[in-house]
Amino acid sequence: MSFLELKDVSIGFGPVSNRYEVLQNVNLSIKENEFVAVIGFSGSGKSTLMNLLAGLEKPDKGEVLLRGQPITGPGPELGMMFQNYSLLPWMSVYENIDLAVRSARPEIARSERKDYIMHYISMVKLDHAPDKKPHELSGGMRQRASLARTLCIRPEVLLLDEPLSALDALTRSDLQDEILRIWGEDKKTVVMITNDVDEAVLMTDRIVPLTMGPAATLDTPFEVNMARPRDRYTLNNNQEFIRLKTDITSYMMGLSQEKKKAAAAKVPMPDIAPKDFSLPSKRLGFKNLQAVSPASSSKA
Amino acid sequence: MANKSIDTIKYGLLRIIDVSGFTIFDPVVRLLFGEEPAKQTSKILKYIVIPTIFLFVCIWLWASIAPTHKTKSGQVPTPSQVIETVETNYRQYEREQEKKTAFLTTGSERDAQIKAAKERLKSLEEESKAAQSELTKVEESSLTEIENNLAPFKKEIEAIAAKLKTLTSSAKTEQTALADAIAAGTAKPETLIQAIADFETQKEALTEKRSELNKQLTEAREDPDALKAARLRANAVANEIQHTNSVIDHYEKKNREYQVNELMTKADAAAALASSSKDPKDILKAAKDQVRNTKKIEDVQEREYAPTSTVFWHQIKRSIFTVFVGFVIAAVIAIPIGMMCGLNRIAMACFTPIISIFKPVSPVVWLLIFQIIVGAFFPDPENHPLFVLSSTLPFIQDLGVNPAMVFSACTVAMCAVWPALVNTALAVSSIEQDHLNVARVLKLGFFDRLFKIIIPSSLPLVFAGLRISLGVGWMVLIAAEALSSSDGLGKFVWDEYQNGSSFSFANIIMACFIVGIIGFFLDRLMICLQRLVSFDEDGATV
Repeated sequence: MSFLELKDVSIGFGPVSNRYEVLQNVNLSIKENEFVAVIGFSGSGKSTLMNLLAGLEKPDKGEVLLRGQPITGPGPELGMMFQNYSLLPWMSVYENIDLAVRSARPEIARSERKDYIMHYISMVKLDHAPDKKPHELSGGMRQRASLARTLCIRPEVLLLDEPLSALDALTRSDLQDEILRIWGEDKKTVVMITNDVDEAVLMTDRIVPLTMGPAATLDTPFEVNMARPRDRYTLNNNQEFIRLKTDITSYMMGLSQEKKKAAAAKVPMPDIAPKDFSLPSKRLGFKNLQAVSPASSSKA
Repeated sequence: MANKSIDTIKYGLLRIIDVSGFTIFDPVVRLLFGEEPAKQTSKILKYIVIPTIFLFVCIWLWASIAPTHKTKSGQVPTPSQVIETVETNYRQYEREQEKKTAFLTTGSERDAQIKAAKERLKSLEEESKAAQSELTKVEESSLTEIENNLAPFKKEIEAIAAKLKTLTSSAKTEQTALADAIAAGTAKPETLIQAIADFETQKEALTEKRSELNKQLTEAREDPDALKAARLRANAVANEIQHTNSVIDHYEKKNREYQVNELMTKADAAAALASSSKDPKDILKAAKDQVRNTKKIEDVQEREYAPTSTVFWHQIKRSIFTVFVGFVIAAVIAIPIGMMCGLNRIAMACFTPIISIFKPVSPVVWLLIFQIIVGAFFPDPENHPLFVLSSTLPFIQDLGVNPAMVFSACTVAMCAVWPALVNTALAVSSIEQDHLNVARVLKLGFFDRLFKIIIPSSLPLVFAGLRISLGVGWMVLIAAEALSSSDGLGKFVWDEYQNGSSFSFANIIMACFIVGIIGFFLDRLMICLQRLVSFDEDGATV
């Protein structure tokens, strides 16, 4: 039985006249304690998919199920880790986590709360900086804090929305190992969005490609049947790793080509509108002015 | 270790400078701690020395241009005259304080003070005598000096008058002779016309010279500086004597204790008279008097010194208090409504027309409206609980809270409410979606969301709005005080404009500087607050 499931989900934005279908007929079924990656080009609707799983958005059609029950809204059982940290800048690392613990785990007694929070802070190796404000931390440390905040509410599903895309390559691999270590210690269902094939192959059990938008959908998943723990240093010589990487990359590139072809299939019409030599009218000038002037905002 | 603590002090100081917004003093601190002296010196030269020189150039320009412009309220005051008025006004304040202590002093302290004051009076009188005799001496000497100065001008004027006379008479004879000749046919009429024209030009030249001389004469008649100085000295001493007399008066007849004692002896005498009398009518009258006297004594015992209002510090304190009250009212109204508008689009739609229509209304209109509307709540201000209460509170009781002050505060509030409201609404509506998503994922309740996310994240912008509000409020206040005659800097300016004494103009300029300096410090205060609540690396933009 699937733990987390998307059934024929469609979602779009905008008014009827200018509708943009982001996702169409998306089907996905995730087993308990499975680590799944969704891979796709930027702008294909990955974050929308994540918001659907987190309950932040409601599908127009179809349903999102957790243990067979439809998800009605966001909640602590769905732990979302945002792309740009989303730590509250006026609170220290400790306070940020404290806020999450208090509201999502109210059953933890006041006396135990500190130990509980410190446990998670040391889990992400931030023991030296619990009282630092987010702006005093590096990008990697911020993402660690964000991870700790997500983990501390003990979600049933961990949703990672491009958690590492804002980091530099070295910090990135460091955090990848960190996430894997934590996942290894405390098995959990994880859905991770990424645009990095290497990352996906290294970390996950299954990789689901998202086709190009608009009206993107999930294609046949690639199973990653490599033994864990996977060693990133020897991985480059691993035949399975190379095969998967090549397959996924060529598939994704194929998607991109198709899209370009599809765009090219629309025969471009020659621009045969007559050139306008008349003087611009006042009305036109006003229109242009409106188009150019930025929305006035009085930020003092 | 020592180095480290010095560094702590240094960076602490730099942080204070940064937060308070006086960043131009940054290089001074760095130089004091010996950091890159060459760089800091060049910075000081560029950003402190040159601006200071520029400031002095401006003051010099003011000092040199001001006296050339004569207005109906006298000449435009120079910087030194303004400084003088500051001193005068401050002296006024000190004198009021002196009278106040005199009024309240009791017992042997009072006797000692009276003695001291009388001695001072004696020495002052001697000084005055000396000053007077000096003045008469200077007057005499300067009289002759003036006469001497005037003599050459007078002589010249007389000479010109004589010349004019002879010219006129000679011209007259010449002209009649010519006229006769023309009649006889021996001369041409043109010659007569030419002669008359010549005479006119000559006469004109002479009269012009005479009027020029007269002007110089009036200038020369002006009192010499020594005389002016002597007069000022004598006046100052006379003034001081008058003040000392008044102080003595406050120690003696006007002293509170003295008045109480006076009444008590009177009452005792009346009581004695009543007890010795056998007439029931007298006894009745005495008993009534007794009651009346007791009441009177109580009244006097509670009486406070009633000072005349002075700029330092009464009016300044009152203005600051009024603007503070208005500002607090504005903030209390603006922040909740702004938050509501930012959180709820319907609320925003409801308030937008109100904000757009009332925001541009002039403070003067608001003042008049408040005088009518709020004035209706105080039909009998003397006994209104608000004013009775305010006269018993510490700090506030000396300020003399009255309806005019309430109107001014309301006007300030009305005009200051808009920037704070608009900014708060903007701040709340522009909270990052990510932060709100965090709240949704954590399922925060409304109050947690409000106090943990919405308020902290909007504080910097809210404070930016409050800062604008305070600035607007301070500007509006001065106008409101002038119009509503609420004691304070605004009324001070207005009164000075109306009474038109020789110091008025300088007083107005002084008030202008005081208003500016206080406004500057209020703004700095808000910048500090804004920086303290902002959570980004560099603080909010200044």
